[in-house]
Amino acid sequence: MSVQTTGSNGNDHGSPVPEEIDYDDPRTTRFEKVKAAARQDGVEIVHYEPQYPEKGSRLERRMSRTVGLMFLLCGLFGTAFVVLYIVWPWRWKQGDVLMKYYTPLLGVTLGLMCLFIAFGVLIWGKKLLPREVSIQDRHDGGSPKGDRRAVGQTLAYMVEELGVKRRPLLGLAAAAGLAPVAVVIAAPVIGGLIKNPHADNQLFTTGWAPINEPGGGTRLVRMTRDDGTPIRPADVSVGGQMTVFPGIPEGATNAHADSPTLLIHLRSDDAAVARANNVKGTGHDKFDRSDFMYGDYIAFSKICTHAGCPASLYEQQTNRLLCPCHQSQFQITNNAIPVFGPASRSLPQLPLDVDDEGYFVARSDYLATVGPDFWERP
Amino acid sequence: MKRRKIDLKTLPAKAGDEVEDRLGVATPLRGIINKVFPDHWSFLLGEIALFSFIVLLLTGTFLTLFFEPSLKEVVYDGSYTPLRGVHMSAAYSSSLDLSFDVRGGLVMRQMHHWAALVFMAAIIVHMLRIFFTGAFRKPREINWIIGSLLFWIGFLEGFTGYSLPDDALSGTGLRIASAILLSIPLIGTWATSSIFNGEFPGDIIVSRFYIVHVLLIPAILLALITVHLALVFKQKHTQWPGPGRTNTNVVGERFFPRYTIKQAGFFMAVAGVIAVLAGALQINPIWLFGPYEAGVVSAASQPDWYVMFLDGSTRLMPAWQINIGIGNGYVIPPIFWPTVVLPGLLATLPMMYPFIEARLNRDNKIHNLLQRPRDVPQRTALGVMAVVFFLVLVLSGGNDVIADKFNISLNATTWGGRIGLLILPPLFYWVTFRICLGLQQHDREVLAHGVETGIIRRAPDGRFYEVHQPLGHDHAELDYAGWVVPKKMNRLGALGPSLKGFFRPLERPAEAPVSPGHPPVEGVPERREIESKH
Amino acid sequence: MTSPHRSGGLLTRMRSRRAVPRSRARRRAASAVRLIAALVLAGGLYTAFAPAISAQDAPLSPAAMEGKALFDNSCISCHAMNGQGIEGRGPSLIGVGAASVEFQVSTGRMPLGSQGAQALEKPPVFDEEQTRQIAQYVQELGGGPAVPEGDDLHSGGDVAAGGQIFRLNCSSCHAFGGGGGALSSGKFAPRLSDTTDRVIWAAMLSGPQNMPVFGDNQLTPEQKRDVVAYVQETLKDRDPGGFNLGRLGPTTEGLAVFVVGITALIFTALWIAGKS
Repeated sequence: MSVQTTGSNGNDHGSPVPEEIDYDDPRTTRFEKVKAAARQDGVEIVHYEPQYPEKGSRLERRMSRTVGLMFLLCGLFGTAFVVLYIVWPWRWKQGDVLMKYYTPLLGVTLGLMCLFIAFGVLIWGKKLLPREVSIQDRHDGGSPKGDRRAVGQTLAYMVEELGVKRRPLLGLAAAAGLAPVAVVIAAPVIGGLIKNPHADNQLFTTGWAPINEPGGGTRLVRMTRDDGTPIRPADVSVGGQMTVFPGIPEGATNAHADSPTLLIHLRSDDAAVARANNVKGTGHDKFDRSDFMYGDYIAFSKICTHAGCPASLYEQQTNRLLCPCHQSQFQITNNAIPVFGPASRSLPQLPLDVDDEGYFVARSDYLATVGPDFWERP
Repeated sequence: MKRRKIDLKTLPAKAGDEVEDRLGVATPLRGIINKVFPDHWSFLLGEIALFSFIVLLLTGTFLTLFFEPSLKEVVYDGSYTPLRGVHMSAAYSSSLDLSFDVRGGLVMRQMHHWAALVFMAAIIVHMLRIFFTGAFRKPREINWIIGSLLFWIGFLEGFTGYSLPDDALSGTGLRIASAILLSIPLIGTWATSSIFNGEFPGDIIVSRFYIVHVLLIPAILLALITVHLALVFKQKHTQWPGPGRTNTNVVGERFFPRYTIKQAGFFMAVAGVIAVLAGALQINPIWLFGPYEAGVVSAASQPDWYVMFLDGSTRLMPAWQINIGIGNGYVIPPIFWPTVVLPGLLATLPMMYPFIEARLNRDNKIHNLLQRPRDVPQRTALGVMAVVFFLVLVLSGGNDVIADKFNISLNATTWGGRIGLLILPPLFYWVTFRICLGLQQHDREVLAHGVETGIIRRAPDGRFYEVHQPLGHDHAELDYAGWVVPKKMNRLGALGPSLKGFFRPLERPAEAPVSPGHPPVEGVPERREIESKH
Repeated sequence: MTSPHRSGGLLTRMRSRRAVPRSRARRRAASAVRLIAALVLAGGLYTAFAPAISAQDAPLSPAAMEGKALFDNSCISCHAMNGQGIEGRGPSLIGVGAASVEFQVSTGRMPLGSQGAQALEKPPVFDEEQTRQIAQYVQELGGGPAVPEGDDLHSGGDVAAGGQIFRLNCSSCHAFGGGGGALSSGKFAPRLSDTTDRVIWAAMLSGPQNMPVFGDNQLTPEQKRDVVAYVQETLKDRDPGGFNLGRLGPTTEGLAVFVVGITALIFTALWIAGKS
């Protein structure tokens, strides 16, 4: 049965190749039929050469053996993977050595299994299949000119038939009516997501704000460790620092992510310098800090004013506080003013005091905004 | 009951006919099978990204079966004793369970994370190949834009992905992301508050990131990748110039069988490399980071490498704050410029590059032939400049690790980065430009004077000169054709064919097939020492 | 010569008995005796009533004596004879205690090789016995904290609690995996591998150089034991995910993906499309 081709569909961009291919003709080889079929897609197989002219040569046999070996190795490692997966101890135990090899063994056997499939398949393709060079015509430049004109004319006619140009009011009404549709679709998404950032004055309040007692008056917030126990001055070594949290419910959790504070016990001479600079008020915030320290103790917000990471690397001798995220450095003995790096605002200072039972309290909330800057920061 | 005889020989044909009657696939299938793809190693780089994406989909599906995207506080009670009794979010706890209490969970987690790094690395390497060879020119500008979008959307996918376990490292990154959002003038606080549902960190961000990471972005990525590949299929792949290759044809191999085999094999190779990485090298050990707490941070805190250039730009930015004195006073913090403005520029300018270059060169022709990087020195130098800029930023992102491991002062690395960022790119532009010109010159020299043979002769007047093998006939000067000029004698076929075999020759030299026109290779004659005649 | 009944009592009679002038030699001898007696009296009064004497004058224990000999040979060039310190060379050692000495000397940081951003760890100059002696000497010089006895300071510690303390206080400088980290201007927090329990304890207790001090009032000995247990057991435990790339986080992971992954895949691509 012969097949007539007009070449109108397929990838042949409309140039018909009227070659008749008789697929049942015993005189043409299968390869010639394949070549003819390829020509119908604009592909000319120019060079097709088996890699081993004599079948069964040593080289060909060797390559076949290699490919076979690759697949066998793949099977070996695949089986190894399954066996290891089931049999090897894997539950985590401190100090146990065997279980630490579970993941590496699984990964390596799985990887080798895949790699041997890859080698097998690729060596087959590279070494055993005939080499070929084929050439295909490109048909760039888009559809033939006639088709372009046809589509252009059709679209133009459709626009005419719609009659928007003849009926301007209809067009205006449609536009005006459809305009809010986009807003309708966007409204629930945006409306549901939108949240006022100034609700409860959250940008300017932290967990250290004195608590209003129900019966009137305010209670100052105690400083606590991360387990909630309050702190006495004697609990911080000279030249030491402690991360402290507000003594309110969930004060040490991420619910009050702006509240972690660094309490530092400076050496006496450093403390004198810090106190003098507090009085001078050379920080970026123009607040009166002259009584913020308690003796030799000083407290700053741990939340870096650059991008919000906890600035925790306290250098005891240089009295610099380094933030590990972007290497901003703050001079603790000079109002925590940034002396290096991308931070541009000094760390807010927490006014310290000690209550009647001898525990540290915050005399008030931070007077400056805590953490990274934003547009509305005054 | 008579059993119907099933004729195995005609079964495939019968089955094919049934399918064909319903779907009509034969003609398109013939077109696909016969499609010609050009053959060069650098055309396989995009495939690394494609196959690692498939690995991501498969391993990611596994992970979703066990992960709990919730910030609700739980107390850990799993196998990992150093965290027993610690309060953490359900997200972190389920990630720990994946790592220690799901059989094979850790290797899947590590495969997923390594595949993500390989995906982004492959995109960059592929993008560089496209850029340096000019494959983005007409008609492929849309594919270039889609590719750039794939990078940035992949960036977001990776960021949301590694923030899901809510560990200390990614939580710190999330904190910085909220600071970046906050810094945007006018809308910053509203955007941050809306995304986090209140103050940082809120209690819903992981759930929101989860749906973005698992559904929304993968859908967009799949759609974009499909369009990207369809365009390559439709427009046909570009090719290098060379013998028989023109702007209106494609010379290579047909899709089936060789191209398919290469693709299948390479897929297995990519999957295999990712699996070996997952087994041999540990990645993202969240159990050592601990759960995210606002007061806890580790030294050596960096984001994944494809985000690290932004970390670098943030570290290098000087502390220039803009205060606007109207009303209560407004502020544009210094973090705005390196993390919002810079990536905005880096995203949009490269996307426009094909059109900018076409306009500058006044070139609106269709280009299907690639250009050797040396032949377009301005573009190559510009690309190298961009790479150096990116590298300085990435290295600066890790400057505390570099400072610690190489005993350099941390402050010095910051200053080095600031100065290097401004000086090194122009320097490398100039150096690359000169190198390109030099290579071009050498090509033309060889075309004009021939290949150096290594044979030195002495002229009668005492002058030494090297014999050159001309490339054309009759010492005619050849034109440069945009392809590799042979510069060594063995590339001209002047040597005999190579022996096959690894440890010992498989075939004796006399039996090896020779190319036509080449005299048969004979055994090397025995050499005798020159005997003295005493 | 003597008058019979002069008026006067005992004193007069004593005086009158003295009326005979002595010889010159006897006069000299007498004044010498008076002088010596006065000096002895003054010295005795001073010895009895002198204010608190410096420690040097108090008897040192035998270990401290050995330590003093070593100290006087190696340490006084920067820390001065009584450990008061020399401006620009070495700080005062009064009050640093045995813990500080144990840390600095047993890790080889002291004696300092050269003045730089910070003291570097190097092979120790003094062995364990000598280190203990110097530590004893400095302890007796000015007091200060000391590491508890014993080489095992981690058994029985709660690694979970230790991990929480470590992450809150230590990981910011020493990194989550104990790999160390950079501080400003060339200083750094060292790696925590290859350390002994005593060195870790001594570091926390004494706050060497720029490390903050974590005295026993701030981190109780139980908490210190927990931290040491975390460092020595958990951080030193093998990683379950393969080679840990230095525990430096995404920096080395990114390097590995290019150096190992992409390189391997590019070589594979070269092989696939090669003409061989």
